[in-house]
Amino acid sequence: MDTLSILLAGFISIVIVNNLVLTKFLGICPYLGVSGRIDMAFGMGMAVTFVVTLSGTLTWMIDHWILILPGLEVTRYVCFILVIAGAVQLVEMYLRKFFPSLYESFGIFLPLITTNCAILGLCLFINLWAIDNLLEAVVLSFGAGIGFTMAICIMAGIRENLNLADVPQCLKGAPITLITAGLLTLAFMGFAGMIR
Amino acid sequence: MTLPDILQLWNDAWPAGLTMLGLGFGFAIVLLIASEKLKVAVDPKIEQIQKALPQIDCGACGFAGCASYARAVAQQPDLIGKCAPGGAEAANKIAQVLNLQISDSGAPKRPIIHCRARTQDKTFYAEYQGILSCTAANALPNVQACKFGCLGYSDCTEACRFDALHIIDGIAIVDYEKCTGCSACSRACPRNLIEMVPFNHENMLSVACSNNENGKTTRSMCRVGCIGCGLCVKQTDLFSVENNNARIDYAKYQPTEQTETAVNKCPTGVIVYCGKSAPPPRMPKQKTAPASH
Repeated sequence: MDTLSILLAGFISIVIVNNLVLTKFLGICPYLGVSGRIDMAFGMGMAVTFVVTLSGTLTWMIDHWILILPGLEVTRYVCFILVIAGAVQLVEMYLRKFFPSLYESFGIFLPLITTNCAILGLCLFINLWAIDNLLEAVVLSFGAGIGFTMAICIMAGIRENLNLADVPQCLKGAPITLITAGLLTLAFMGFAGMIR
Repeated sequence: MTLPDILQLWNDAWPAGLTMLGLGFGFAIVLLIASEKLKVAVDPKIEQIQKALPQIDCGACGFAGCASYARAVAQQPDLIGKCAPGGAEAANKIAQVLNLQISDSGAPKRPIIHCRARTQDKTFYAEYQGILSCTAANALPNVQACKFGCLGYSDCTEACRFDALHIIDGIAIVDYEKCTGCSACSRACPRNLIEMVPFNHENMLSVACSNNENGKTTRSMCRVGCIGCGLCVKQTDLFSVENNNARIDYAKYQPTEQTETAVNKCPTGVIVYCGKSAPPPRMPKQKTAPASH
């Protein structure tokens, strides 16, 4: 396979087949917390996409160019968290300056991207899947963010319509949200095994 | 552990430490540059207003917390005086920050409870064994005879963040020393018994009943209910009787000799003083004891 098809396959794989939220159950906290309205969900998805692309790329570079040389792979977790926290700080400052309304509506969830396990998860998966090509790492990181955005937007769309639905009293609120998340995951299981 | 071991450990560890230090330093520089480039100028007034507020995030002002109220009041100065726990003090400080002259912001609001029936004063048709919350008990008709009175299952005391409300003998009692006037209890009561009243005196009169039924029915189920007889209205026009229930017009509240007479004449003693040094309520006379069921 030439480079382009490898990249394309990797991208589709991380967005649909190996979606971090729907198949690896990572990043569930913002997935359920910020999926009340589509516009907020999309903003959250964009912020996570930015952070995950930046940190995925940076961690690949740090891992391959700095940590491997002196044999310091054990410090991977600490370094990755450092990169993610720094990237989140950067996004927070940027949003506060240029999108104050989005910054307001995110509230506590913006600093919580730091502890979004989808991001650390992706950085470690890139390492686990032995991606040895910077371009592929960038594409995979970006794809992970797009996958997260897609999942959270689908969820937000369903939940917006769920507000109008006649849900039984005992299932209102969190239970129906969790059931919806489960069904959505089941639907995406149909893609399993398509690529990789 | 011997010296060579320690040296070995040190030799293994220092590259890791140095790498982390270098990485951390690199990120610190990037963030430092970013924080300078992306600096957001915050109005210093907002910070000063926030300092004047009590920082308890009670939500009495209608905003999410003290921080969002501070931002709102800096933009719209007419929102001043919404902080119930801070009261006049906070309002004056905010006015100083915003360079405003405010007239008297009014007396602080405190809750009064429109019921004074202790468990032994009430009549019950059945024993309630459900969830111990007023909201749940309120959904069941005909457990407590009075459909208006205090249920005593602590919804208001749980809503209170200042330990200023207690259920004593089946009736909620406000501790006015601790109360900040945030009106959380008033929102929590499923029977809307708690009214927020401007306390322009240390002790305020209140009609401790909200039963709308006629005098005979009220008397049959509560020893201390208001029977709507109108004896207080004859004394002073501070009182009025609506729906078989006496009410006080707090807009023109001013205790006089006549109001004192009205308090003493009330046949069920339902007009009581509330406040920091309120005298204990008059006990009901024996002749108003409920008919046995």
